[in-house]
Amino acid sequence: MELKIENVSKAFINDGNNHIVLGDVSFTVDEGQFVTLLGPSGCGKTTLLTIIAGFQSVSGGRVLLNGRQVTRPGPDRGFVFQNYALFPWMTVRDNILYPMKMSGVPAQEREQRLQELLAMAQLEGKEKLYPHQLSGGMKQRIAFIRALAGQPEVLLMDEPLGAVDFQMRQILQEELEALWLKDKTTVVMVTHDVDEAIYLSDRIIVMSAREGKILEDMPVELPRPRNRKNPKYVRSKEHLMDVLKVAINKQPEQTEGARKLQLACRKTASQ
Amino acid sequence: MEPVGDKIRVYSGANTRLMREKVIGSLGPKQILYRLATLAAVFAVWQLAANHYHSEFLMPSPLKTIVTLTSVVHDPDVIKNLLLTLKRVLTGFLYAMLIGIPLGFLMGYSRVAMHLFDPLIDSLRQIPIMAWVPLTIVWFGLGDGPTVFLIAFAGVFPIIMNTIAGVQKISQDYYNAARSMGAGPWSIFAHIIVPASLPDILIGGRLAIGLGWMSVI
Repeated sequence: MELKIENVSKAFINDGNNHIVLGDVSFTVDEGQFVTLLGPSGCGKTTLLTIIAGFQSVSGGRVLLNGRQVTRPGPDRGFVFQNYALFPWMTVRDNILYPMKMSGVPAQEREQRLQELLAMAQLEGKEKLYPHQLSGGMKQRIAFIRALAGQPEVLLMDEPLGAVDFQMRQILQEELEALWLKDKTTVVMVTHDVDEAIYLSDRIIVMSAREGKILEDMPVELPRPRNRKNPKYVRSKEHLMDVLKVAINKQPEQTEGARKLQLACRKTASQ
Repeated sequence: MEPVGDKIRVYSGANTRLMREKVIGSLGPKQILYRLATLAAVFAVWQLAANHYHSEFLMPSPLKTIVTLTSVVHDPDVIKNLLLTLKRVLTGFLYAMLIGIPLGFLMGYSRVAMHLFDPLIDSLRQIPIMAWVPLTIVWFGLGDGPTVFLIAFAGVFPIIMNTIAGVQKISQDYYNAARSMGAGPWSIFAHIIVPASLPDILIGGRLAIGLGWMSVI
């Protein structure tokens, strides 16, 4: 598996104005990595993720998965939605079987894989329930194993824990890490939560609010399962907080010359 | 992306009771008592009015009406006609569903179909049902034809409208989820669009049956 983002740009036209969300973004994700796109809201990280998923088209550049250009959604890229998007009219069982049916897995194998996945997520015996009968944590686990059921090359997660409160979030991060360690599928996750990024990722890409420029590409080399009190963990967190402060500042860094020119213009205008 | 939220849409056989309870609340002894209270109040007002007018022609008493009703129900002629009406309503309803549901799916899903059919449907549905009566008699002659047509005609619009609404409010996330799991157009229709819009279609159907009974006369 190799996922290549090559000079991807994305612009929207709002009221005749060209609004650039992604300027020129490039990076490569290697097999088995857990990569997080971290950035303030509005930095285009979710846009980039949906472009990788094929839900949106690029304005320029391209996304390559194993050398093949991505143009539309496909089962080689699993997607975990922020609101889970479990089908409420299907039972847990049918939700998880759906991607396997779509990719033509034989019935016997389907059943076996379903049991494996349920065991992995500790959801045995919940097959007959409907999504609305489950707790938030269970829904999140089902969304995760549903995305894995189609055996994607890469798993894309859009703020998978965005809808839960702080304490629950930490517990779910631990659950998610444990689940991922059992499977080790390549992951690209989007989040704005620094702690979550460090806790889960092997590599963190920080994007700026201005055109989604990559401000930092940082590996996280801490033993798993991670200890939030480890001094190195705390240091990484503080460092990322500082980078994020730069990311949030949307103002472009002006050169001295440009600033003087601007001031001069203002003076002449007021006279 | 719009949030899906916790929209509960359960319609499977095992859960129809749940759905009913969501709409009207559970039906325990206390709730039955409330319902009986309303019924009793209606009869009381009726009896008072009958006492006031004191005329069987203007306002017969509830007791008298019920006695007459029971004797009428035993009349084989009445039963025969009742069954005939039921047959007409169901036939008309069937036509309304057969035309309304596919059209609703099409218009809800495709902007092009919406623009093609919307002017026609929006003008047709404004015409009072009674205005069709002379025309339908000319078209279908006397007999079942005009009645079935009018029942179908009255019922088809709520079915179309509700099906459109049902399809349009399906979250984009569901389509994206299905596509990213490798679903093709047929599967998206059968496994996403139909089940997700079914609750709204059922509401359309209920309205259509009600309008059908009203158009019988």
